[in-house]
Amino acid sequence: MSMSTSEDASRLRMAVLGVVVLSLFAAMVARLWYLQVLSGPTYRTEAQQNRVRIVVTEAPRGRILDRQGRVLVGNKVVSAVVVSREVMAKQPEVLDRLSPLLGVSAAELQRRVADERFSPFKPVPVAVDVPKERLIHIREHQAEFPGVEGIQLTQRAYPNGTTAAHVLGYTGEINDKELEPRKARGYKAGDTIGKSGLELTYEDDLRGGPEIEKLEVDAEGRVLRSLGKQPAVQGNDVRLSIDLDIQKLAEESLVQGLEAARNAYDPDQAKFFLAPAGSVVVLDPRDGAVLAMASFPWYDPSEFVNGIKEATFRQLNDPAGNYPLNNRAIQGLYAPASTFKLATSVAALGEGLITPGTILNDTGSFRIGNETRRNARGAAFGPVNVSRALTVSSDVFFYDLGARFCPGKCRTAIQDTARAMGLGVYTDIELPFEADGRIADAENRRRLHQASPAAFPEGEWFTGDNVNVAIGQGETVVTPVQLATAYATFANGGTVYSPRLGAAVQDTRGTEIRRIEPKALRRVELPAPVRNPVMDGLEGVVTDPEGTAFNAFAGFPHDQFRVGAKTGTAQAPPKQDTALFAAFGPTEASRYTVAVVMEESGFGASSAAPVARRIFDGILGLPLTPVATAPGGPD
Amino acid sequence: MIATTGRRRNPVAAWRHVDLLMVAATVGVLAISLLMIYSSTRQRQIQAGLDPAFFVKRQALFVGVGLVGLVLVTLLDYESIRNAVPVVYCGTLLALLLVLTPLGTERRGTQAWFQLGPYQFEPSEVGKLVVIVTLAAYCAVQRGELDTARLVTALSLAAAPLFLIYLQPDVGTGMVFVAVVMGVLLVGGASPRQIGVLTLMGLTAIVAVLQLGVLKDYQRDRLSAFLDPKEDVQRSAYNLNQSKIAIAAGGLGGRGLFQGTQTNLSFVPEQHTDFIFTAVGEELGFAGGVTLLGLFGLIMWRTWRTAAESKDAFGRLVCVGVLAMLGFQVFENVGMTMGITPIAGIPLPLMSYGGSATVATLLSVGLVLNVHMRRFS
Repeated sequence: MSMSTSEDASRLRMAVLGVVVLSLFAAMVARLWYLQVLSGPTYRTEAQQNRVRIVVTEAPRGRILDRQGRVLVGNKVVSAVVVSREVMAKQPEVLDRLSPLLGVSAAELQRRVADERFSPFKPVPVAVDVPKERLIHIREHQAEFPGVEGIQLTQRAYPNGTTAAHVLGYTGEINDKELEPRKARGYKAGDTIGKSGLELTYEDDLRGGPEIEKLEVDAEGRVLRSLGKQPAVQGNDVRLSIDLDIQKLAEESLVQGLEAARNAYDPDQAKFFLAPAGSVVVLDPRDGAVLAMASFPWYDPSEFVNGIKEATFRQLNDPAGNYPLNNRAIQGLYAPASTFKLATSVAALGEGLITPGTILNDTGSFRIGNETRRNARGAAFGPVNVSRALTVSSDVFFYDLGARFCPGKCRTAIQDTARAMGLGVYTDIELPFEADGRIADAENRRRLHQASPAAFPEGEWFTGDNVNVAIGQGETVVTPVQLATAYATFANGGTVYSPRLGAAVQDTRGTEIRRIEPKALRRVELPAPVRNPVMDGLEGVVTDPEGTAFNAFAGFPHDQFRVGAKTGTAQAPPKQDTALFAAFGPTEASRYTVAVVMEESGFGASSAAPVARRIFDGILGLPLTPVATAPGGPD
Repeated sequence: MIATTGRRRNPVAAWRHVDLLMVAATVGVLAISLLMIYSSTRQRQIQAGLDPAFFVKRQALFVGVGLVGLVLVTLLDYESIRNAVPVVYCGTLLALLLVLTPLGTERRGTQAWFQLGPYQFEPSEVGKLVVIVTLAAYCAVQRGELDTARLVTALSLAAAPLFLIYLQPDVGTGMVFVAVVMGVLLVGGASPRQIGVLTLMGLTAIVAVLQLGVLKDYQRDRLSAFLDPKEDVQRSAYNLNQSKIAIAAGGLGGRGLFQGTQTNLSFVPEQHTDFIFTAVGEELGFAGGVTLLGLFGLIMWRTWRTAAESKDAFGRLVCVGVLAMLGFQVFENVGMTMGITPIAGIPLPLMSYGGSATVATLLSVGLVLNVHMRRFS
């Protein structure tokens, strides 16, 4: 009996054991079903991500060409030394051997190898632009340099050196601020991006499609094979309206003009002119195309390739160097002085305040309240109408005009006309960091005073202020490109074009992808009764023996190519006078507008006009002579 | 019937009753094992410029040795094995003691091997088998009546080798011991109360081991990674995640033999040993996984039946011990690769690469076949 119960108990216990084992198997099968069938797809994606690494290599940027297709910014292929991280980790002594060969300290090489910007799945570049002999040496002694190889990289190249540096801009490594908004568009840390100038403006066109390679890696990150590659697509070329010949001509003339000014004596400050900086803008008034844009001092954009050296960058930002990174053509703010008289004339004639025949006797001085204003250097021009007043640059005539707008409360016709023609307002040129400048008026006066009562103690607007406006002094400041735009507007009969540097975007084979159209901003009414007397006056500046720039244009073929121009000399205490000159031609159908602004260079007539004269000579294919200061003025 | 009596006494006659289903299931698992060991080591060996078949060749050798052992075990009447228990038990204790001396070899913090030329021998693997036989022999004598004193004696018999293994330390094998003891005692006559108390003591021990810092860091990490695998992918949980990814990526039909990327690209650590099931899961899919589990199930079922049909208590308890050992190992191992049991260094019987475990498992299969063959004599 006891045997039988023991037998029963044993059977029961065997059954329990069997149930336990069965449950365990059921659990395993259930779990297997859950993992493989129910959540399989999710895990399959994870398995895929596990093994595939994507390595993105930047494509060469597109080129920047001049209007004739000549290369302003291109690419060059350079040799670079790359090293395998895996090998360097195992044999760090290779870097010690590499150090003297590349002229880079071993510690620096170590740092570059550890640079996280580079993909861990590709060899890391540790030296760029390595001479060929060094590469050959490495190849011939490969046993001493395991994991080291030479590759070819493309880099920005500037075949014309510093020419048009400000316009072209430079490239550099993308920073966090630039990267954040562009992440969605495939930018990544370490990428190159346009930092300034057209490199920045046309970033989207110039940047190509990167090479995207899918690599299969194992658990330790070793690359086993390539799973496919989407080849790089070089960025598109941007063709400019800039003409390389005129650009070089403008830069050369500017440098010569500044050099000449430095040899001229400034009686006001009893020293030679410093002439440290200046700029030239050449526009085609028919559509606003920029033919040349020069700003001195300039910099070498190739210094930025491979990352600019700290010392170089510090030097570029040193005030003693006059800030060569600034593009004065769009950022320099200068009182326009007598060049502003164009706007005053147009406003006065347009408003009917004067007629072409209105004559004022210029006695050399103008009384306003108990204040007396005089012409520069005390000149007296006698009876002058608006044309002659422009030709000889009679301040007295324009003082009077300024006052004529102010019976009671001053009207803003001068200011409105000036802004309409493009002065003191953004030109919308497609370059970053353009300055807007300012036209002095009651509104601006009040705002300046409120913002900074110490610097601008006067908050009220008086007739004397409007008188100052009329001759382009006071708080009015404009950029050289605005000056050129205003004269181009007058030259073309009244259409204000936004200055345009880009002409077209084209692919590497030269097929046009997108034309960059001229942009007419607005129109200024210039009916014949307004335009003709002003034109006469501006032509007289260079053709009339009493014209302020007559000497600068001595011997110029006026019969073949009529030029209209205006000189300007702006007081900029405590600095020396700013020399300005704006010109256009041929006056019957202008194709060129030239604006020249030179800091601390004296009279516009003596220093700036000769620079423009040489540019016209060059454009017309006349024999060129070095710029010399012209006797002239006093303006 | 009378005519067969004579044949039953002939040792060779027992071969007529060999459990062919058990044999077939074992051979089936071994075949899958060799295939998956090759698949999971091939790419890595090629990468290192070594013989891609290196591991599979060695495993084939172990299987050969194990099969010879299996046949030898079946040839002896298990009565004689029972008689040898005291000697074998003492020999095993000695081996487990010696492996802790400088005669043994350490690998990854565990001192568990004897280096024999190019091969290693792990006495704790055979130790599991010896504990089964010893416990079965002891409990069989008690005829299903275990008072507290006898229970303590039985536990002590298991505790001595367990303690030595704990010194190595080898948590996984220790856990198998516990499963075996529980199984044998359950069927061998412990009362429900005794089993309840034992279970309670066991749980207390586990908590104590986790809390008191007896475990090495990596052991505790692996156990706690099981509890929250998303917590730290970088360390132990990485193994678990990669393992689950591999299995799940296989889907219903698998990615095809030699096609698993997790397998080929070595994403699963220890894949040819403890994580061999992930290769099955990834390359052969749910179909392959269920087939393998089915073969294991077949082995379990035949072992269970053999236990039930055994002519005596010793045979039954040996089979129960083997069932507990294999059942626990399969569940723990397959479970850990799928994230339902903690990660512990327990090989998948008959599947994982490794000589000692393969030979020991084949010997245990031999024991079950032995009991089955002689169920009528």
